[in-house]
Amino acid sequence: MATHELLLLKNMSQPGYSGSLADYERAGGYQALKKVLGKIPPGDITEMVKKSGLRGRGGAGFPTGVKWSFIPKDHPGPRYLICNADESEPGTFKDRQLMERDPHQMIEGMIIAAYAIGVRTSYIYIRGEFVLGARVLERALAEAYQAGYLGKDILGTGFALDLYVHRGAGAYICGEETALLESLEGKRGLPRIKPPFPATHGLFQKPTVVNNVETLANVPHIVNRGAEWFASIGNPPKSSGTRVFCMSGHVKRPGNYEVPMGVTFREIIYDIAGGMRGDKPLKAFIPGGASAAFLMPEHLDVKLDFESVAQAGSMLGSGGITVMEEGTCMVWAAENLLHFFNHESCGKCTPCREGSSWLLQILRRIDHGKGKMEDLATLTRLCGNIAGRTVCAFGDAEIAPITSTLQYFRDEYEAHIREQRCPFRSQPAPELISVGR
Amino acid sequence: MAEMVTILIDGKPIEVEKGTLVIEAARRIGVMIPHFCYHPKLKPDANCRMCLVEVEKMPKLQTSCSTVVAEGMVVRTNTPVVDEAHKSVLEFILANHPLDCPICDQGGRCDLQDFSHRYTPTGSQFTDTKRVYEKGFFSPLIEKEMNRCVSCLRCVRYCDEIMDVKALANAARSTMTEIVHFAGHPLDCEFCGGCVQICPVGAITSRLSMYEFRPWMMKRADTTCGYCGDGCSLILETRGEKVIEVMSSHGNGRNNGDLCAKGFFGYQYVNHEDRLTTPLVRQADGNLHPVTWDEVLPVLAERLTQIKLAHGADAIGGLISARCTNEDLYLFQKFMRLAIGSNHLDSTARYGHVNAARALRRVQGTNRWTVSYEDIVQADALLLIGTQVTAANPIVGLKVKEAVKKHGATLLTLETLVPSIETTSNITNLSALHVAVPPGRHAAAVRGLVKAAFDENLVDAALSSRAGDYVSRIRAAATALPYPEGLDEAALRAVAKAFAGARRGVILIGQDLLQAPGGHESAVNLLDFLLLLGKLTQPGWGLAPLTEENNEQGAVEMGATAEYLPGPADVGDAAARTQIAGAWKDQPPASQGMHLLEMLDAARAGTLKAMLIVGENPVRSLPLSAKAASALEKLDLLVVQELFLTETAKLADVVLPACSYAEKTGTFTNSEGFVQKVRPGLEPVGDSRPDWEILSSLSVMMGYPLEYGDAKEILKEIRAVIPGYRVLGAKPEPAQVAAKSVEQYLTRGFAEDLPARYSAGAAPKANSHRWALAVGQTLFHSGAMSTKAQGLLELQHEGKLIMNPADAQRLGIADGDRVRLTSTSGEATVPVTMLGRIPEGTLFFPESFREALAGLPSMTPDPVTGVPYCKQLRVSVDKVGTGGASSGPPPARIAGGK
Amino acid sequence: MTSAFSKAAQERIPGIIARYAEKRGALLPLLWLAQEEQGYVSEEAMKEIAGWLDLTPPQVYETVTFYTMYNRRPIGKYHIQVCRSLMCALVGTDNLLGWIHAKLGIKTGQTTPDGLFTLSQVECLGSCGTGPMMQINDDYYERLTQDKTNRVLDDVKREGKCPLATGPFMFPEPAQK
Ligand SMILES: Cc1cc2nc3c(=O)[nH]c(=O)nc-3n(C[C@H](O)[C@H](O)[C@H](O)COP(=O)(O)O)c2cc1C
Ligand code: SF4
Ligand code: FES
Repeated sequence: MATHELLLLKNMSQPGYSGSLADYERAGGYQALKKVLGKIPPGDITEMVKKSGLRGRGGAGFPTGVKWSFIPKDHPGPRYLICNADESEPGTFKDRQLMERDPHQMIEGMIIAAYAIGVRTSYIYIRGEFVLGARVLERALAEAYQAGYLGKDILGTGFALDLYVHRGAGAYICGEETALLESLEGKRGLPRIKPPFPATHGLFQKPTVVNNVETLANVPHIVNRGAEWFASIGNPPKSSGTRVFCMSGHVKRPGNYEVPMGVTFREIIYDIAGGMRGDKPLKAFIPGGASAAFLMPEHLDVKLDFESVAQAGSMLGSGGITVMEEGTCMVWAAENLLHFFNHESCGKCTPCREGSSWLLQILRRIDHGKGKMEDLATLTRLCGNIAGRTVCAFGDAEIAPITSTLQYFRDEYEAHIREQRCPFRSQPAPELISVGR
Repeated sequence: MAEMVTILIDGKPIEVEKGTLVIEAARRIGVMIPHFCYHPKLKPDANCRMCLVEVEKMPKLQTSCSTVVAEGMVVRTNTPVVDEAHKSVLEFILANHPLDCPICDQGGRCDLQDFSHRYTPTGSQFTDTKRVYEKGFFSPLIEKEMNRCVSCLRCVRYCDEIMDVKALANAARSTMTEIVHFAGHPLDCEFCGGCVQICPVGAITSRLSMYEFRPWMMKRADTTCGYCGDGCSLILETRGEKVIEVMSSHGNGRNNGDLCAKGFFGYQYVNHEDRLTTPLVRQADGNLHPVTWDEVLPVLAERLTQIKLAHGADAIGGLISARCTNEDLYLFQKFMRLAIGSNHLDSTARYGHVNAARALRRVQGTNRWTVSYEDIVQADALLLIGTQVTAANPIVGLKVKEAVKKHGATLLTLETLVPSIETTSNITNLSALHVAVPPGRHAAAVRGLVKAAFDENLVDAALSSRAGDYVSRIRAAATALPYPEGLDEAALRAVAKAFAGARRGVILIGQDLLQAPGGHESAVNLLDFLLLLGKLTQPGWGLAPLTEENNEQGAVEMGATAEYLPGPADVGDAAARTQIAGAWKDQPPASQGMHLLEMLDAARAGTLKAMLIVGENPVRSLPLSAKAASALEKLDLLVVQELFLTETAKLADVVLPACSYAEKTGTFTNSEGFVQKVRPGLEPVGDSRPDWEILSSLSVMMGYPLEYGDAKEILKEIRAVIPGYRVLGAKPEPAQVAAKSVEQYLTRGFAEDLPARYSAGAAPKANSHRWALAVGQTLFHSGAMSTKAQGLLELQHEGKLIMNPADAQRLGIADGDRVRLTSTSGEATVPVTMLGRIPEGTLFFPESFREALAGLPSMTPDPVTGVPYCKQLRVSVDKVGTGGASSGPPPARIAGGK
Repeated sequence: MTSAFSKAAQERIPGIIARYAEKRGALLPLLWLAQEEQGYVSEEAMKEIAGWLDLTPPQVYETVTFYTMYNRRPIGKYHIQVCRSLMCALVGTDNLLGWIHAKLGIKTGQTTPDGLFTLSQVECLGSCGTGPMMQINDDYYERLTQDKTNRVLDDVKREGKCPLATGPFMFPEPAQK
């Protein structure tokens, strides 16, 4: 297995590293900013990021430098940079660690990005549940202001930037960038119709870039060590750099692991995460958060990069890998995820709003031994009627668990229906409900 | 010229302006793409996903309601894939939608029903549990059935984008989203009915007509609203002898399908049980007794003839409501002038609108607006002075909102209300510059504006050289005055400057200005202001007075006021007299006519012996101190044509039952001068007759036959006689400033009353009554008719004094407490409520419930125009009681809502 | 007039509003402030916030109801939220709920009679590698066992917090050298 030095998790892996400004500076922090501010023209930074091949770590994998270059150069008035710290894709917990353990790494990345796109006001949109994360960030921002890395005249270069933490309040959809913008504007988190795109009509209808925490945390490293260096890591040219993969489910050592893109699932599941809990056989795994289609043991040698996972019929997504052992009921798993999607659908568009509850009801019936064979065709048909027809990508996400489990585990669905019970459980699954407040 | 692009829809090429939405382009070639959330009025939201179409080169289906055409675009709306997509959206909606069409008032005109029929789904596959919302009490007028909602948010978006009210919320999320007001409270809003009308399904319906109809049972009459001067087109939906509901249609009328509470919920007075159904005559016992038309008309004609013979035609006067049709008004003045032979006639335009009409005529030669609603929408600066536009002229209010919200116009307001966000809209919230003007101070504010035109160097150079004398004398007069005390000088100057700097600007004035002392002078002074800025004759610029009643403009133009012949033309204008005499084949009387107050004086003095009053109730309209009742009681003969037995009708010797607008054919002329059709939705109630028909019959009996086969024949004559009526319909001839009049005004006309127009006026006297009370229009009522409309009574059933919450707190007053008001002329006890938009130190009372104030106001007539001013007064306030029985809810009496 | 906000909180409001180009941007932060003050977002608070931000109360209300974290009525002093989403469910959400029930006698949606604990199940809290887990008020408690759960609940009940709270989060912990 190709091992590589840690980039994003490096500082925090040092014993005693507290994430304070002093610690960060001691580890070489803010050197990149000093290298850039007033010395390299903003456009060149964008070029550098383009050249590095950095792609978004939030889910869609859009090339970061290209996104920055969409901001109209000559637009008068404000423009915004927003760090998407909403991390709510089930299976994903890397941003939380990056923020709580090494906040200055991403703040430095944000300041550089703001400089590159000419932003003077920037927000970190952090999910409401991450109270500690918000506190750590507030403290770090105070330190950065104190040290002159933020504020009116940063490092005496005349560049000014205000950076604020904005807490969400419990809504997965607010991770979707246009819903996030609505939420930041004080509205319900309903995704916007596109076009227009945030690059021209974003926050308060002004040009806006939204980037994920991990994406931005990579920026200081690119500046420090060069685009070529970054572009050589991982599986370039399409998937350069490392990624922090979040291992969960039935593995021996769940947790966050930073590895270069291009390692295989086999390596990350069996070598890095220690293999299956109790050494049971692997039944299926989700490669990139709840929105990604399930994959099978036969996909273990697929490489963890954007293209390879897409080719295998799923997506690299947010980097959350959930592993399930033999004996896990796939109907139940799909039902559980649909519960999530139904609960989190914003309710704006018809197929998603009505479809998510309908799908959930069918899955629940099948799981509880009340399914009918026609239900399988209905599931397929409804999924087909949601795919590609919703306002945002949530619609495609919510059907992924169903279409993929139906593809690989149809017999299991049929068994539930034939036997009118779950073949894996002697008792029906307890009703898992989520209760809003 | 808009840039055009050509696209192909289902193989048909069509050329449309750039920026057009695909769904609109398709509509133009007759392709109706099914949709729920799209509405041409609203910004695309693309939430229902019903309108999906195929667009070549795009991998996914696109929502045609949000996709803008592009050159060469190829769109397909009828492929199997598109069909399947439409079906699937319907299937999703129907999953949770109840199949309660049999008891749904939308049945028969429901988009969901129609589309379901069109796509004939073989029945829903949905067999699971439907989502059910708990039924709640939404409001006394509006029924909400959330199980039927398709979440298109048209209602919420309408309430925000068009009305600027934002009273509807889209609460919760996912499958449980629903439309609510605030936290489950009953709806509290403007009740414009927009949500009812724009809901494509039966989720929001009117409770007034609940379960009363199926669409196909109803007769429809396209007519014009009888409340305010905005002139909304509406559709009366009737069944048998009853108006069931009022609708409007998008794309139609000056209102473009929008209505206000009065228009939408205010129709039930038409079918009120107290409507007069037979003529009444006062008999020996002193009481009014029913008689037949055949009995009453000859007797009445004879009495009138007797009085005329005994005392001369000048002993007879007439008064008509400006809520009547042009045909009624025209025939009324013709009847008075020819059959009676008297010029003593007036209409309710006297209560304020003549102030504006006379000013406009004097300066610009036409008494009409030289702008239209379109100019308001297109203006880049709008100056509102004393309009209370949302309450008094709601649809013009919407035009102002559209100008500001959609086109970024700068709104400048000199209004009594102050900005405050509540669940009813407030035009001053949209103001770029607001000057708070206490009641009665608008005239002073206008003088301040003219002064500011000089102080800010805004005077048109060309005018200064062309009419140097005019400019210098106005300058001397206007700048000699100090800026009005208590008004923000800097703000006034900024308003003048902002307005002068615009590309197109309209000044809207309303009742707070025109029905207050100085009303007439202010209207002239504002024309000075436009002249000085060099704008009066520019296209898109103008002064636009708003009228309170629906046909005040018509009343003036029909010649139904003392000073005007039809045209209007001055009674003394020899040329006009010759012309009208030619048309009438008879001379109008030569005497100077008396206006309303003069007639009352004459009655009191015993020189006026008889009066014919059509549809107006001066006993109620004028304050007690005007002593209208005692004057009318002195008459030998009082004849009243009415819908109801009003205070005035109760004094009459003869009461004749008249038709309401819902039973009439004719025309109304709105504020902006559009002449619009009135069509009957009902047969006359009881034995009631149209006003013109009554007058026509009387004329025959009096031996001066003014005979017309129907109202259309009168209109024909009107069109021949009155210039503004030659071209009717959707695009009338726009009125223009007459260069000759302006010239005359600039050289001589202006000087006549210059000192009076630019004197400081009576400064508000500091007396012991320190509160400024304004009586005016409210959102839910207009005049007395609305207080007979059950729907509006549900919203507001009594007059409450409104004060600022801070004032109330200071006085220890809670909502519903009662206070005693004391003025120099009397006192009254009324309940109180609060609104943030009423400035501190100011009180407001709804005009429609003015009888509660009866003795309080005093009256000042305008020395020039005779307009009776009685709506602003100074009072003291004392708390007298808490709660108060009369502030409870009205007796529930909702049609069909059992 | 009495306010849903303390004097100190009111003083913070203008500063919060100033962070946004349009006032409405401050809505979520002000709702948080209201909840900090009263433990939930009362109707009074919503109306006051509407006033601050030039919104109508319905506009505030619709936003409040979209988000799950704003309480619209008072709840128990300690709000236990158990993640029910798949990743935690794979490793024992059921067990955790059972342990809490055994300890406090409450099921999802219920509050203990003393008003101290309210139990909710919520969707993914972003601690999928360290399940089963729960959040009590601001703090996360992860990799729970029955013993650990009991201790947390005891501590919280006694002192309002427990040293077993996670964070700053890193998992796996860096190897001790
Ligand atoms: C339903 C949905 C949820 C999302 N949630 C998140 C999230 O929690 N965090 C995130 O960074 N991106 C999320 N995204 C992706 C964002 O829309 C956006 O692509 C991303 O923030 C861009 O940043 P990047 O280019 O740095 O990846 C989500 C997208 C969708 C459709
Ligand atoms: S109530 Fe009517 S208008 Fe409003 S969202 Fe529902 S269906 Fe649309
Ligand atoms: S009409 Fe286009 S999405 Fe609703």
